[in-house]
Amino acid sequence: MNENIQRKVFNNLLENRIENFIGVPDSTLKNFIDEGIKKKKVIITTREEEAIGIACGMQLSNSPSLVFMQNAGFANSISTIASLVDLYEIPLIFLIGWRGYLKTDAPEHLKIGKIQNKLLKALDLQTKILKEENWKTCCEWAIKKNKKNESCAIIVRRLKNE
Amino acid sequence: MNRKDAIQVIAKYIKDDPIISANGFISRELFNAYEKNSNFYMIGSMGLASSIGLGVSLKNPKKLIYVFDGDGNILMNLGSMTTIGKLKPKNLVHIIFDNQIHESTGGQYTNSKNIDLEKIAKCVNYKTFVAKNKKELEREIRKIKFGEGPILLKIKISKTTKIGKRIDIEPTKIKSRFQESIM
Repeated sequence: MNENIQRKVFNNLLENRIENFIGVPDSTLKNFIDEGIKKKKVIITTREEEAIGIACGMQLSNSPSLVFMQNAGFANSISTIASLVDLYEIPLIFLIGWRGYLKTDAPEHLKIGKIQNKLLKALDLQTKILKEENWKTCCEWAIKKNKKNESCAIIVRRLKNE
Repeated sequence: MNRKDAIQVIAKYIKDDPIISANGFISRELFNAYEKNSNFYMIGSMGLASSIGLGVSLKNPKKLIYVFDGDGNILMNLGSMTTIGKLKPKNLVHIIFDNQIHESTGGQYTNSKNIDLEKIAKCVNYKTFVAKNKKELEREIRKIKFGEGPILLKIKISKTTKIGKRIDIEPTKIKSRFQESIM
């Protein structure tokens, strides 16, 4: 996804009072993360579950939080989303890079890329796919969800093989 | 010293400070020994008490935040200690009740018998304290002061002979009363 849009998405969320951006880096999201690091708003963790734990602690302190990760990390996080985020109804915004969206992506991403939508559905996690033409409404949607105490996921497709 | 004895000694110092307690027997014991609104009992997501505690401590810098962890729990999320060591929350007290077993799943061993959690904590910027019995715990707990974190207190505990009842508060209620207590 276009570098400028990624930076705009970060700044839009920050201006709309999303205060914490925690996660494990993903090349699909690198400009978003870079913008956050520049603004000193990012915490990089060792695993995705750890990021979710920290974000939950911050959200419990009434500080709205986003967790970013690659879909491989999303697959790692299923148990934590079910038994912490969902069980206690702690609203988080997930930003997930969709590797394996293209069938020509690297082989390690193909299986998770293929079952990702089913996993999201099974968790009842509402999602929107971020595109260059809808980035603003996507941000508004996520902020609204957070205010309504609901978790949601913004998905960023990997459209080029790099 | 068993876990219940240790909690009773610590409780006198914690008073109403927030506690994030790990799943399994740790939360269950805390619930039976020292129940209060500012306890966040985890009933799942093993390993994440220290991560939740880190998030709470960073957002509440004027409050002392306690994590009640276990050896099995922290070994499942050891990376968390490196993140804590990097961010250095001054108000975080990380207590590990170390019985060297996964007690609630049948007493299988953890690796804590063969490695040194205190040394690991020291390497990642914690100030550390260790208590092997009640007398040592009463002495060490007094040394914990606000603003010197991250602090690790490792308490050697014996196997549980009798565990109290399960937590009977709804998870969403555990959350809402915890949130109100730290507002």
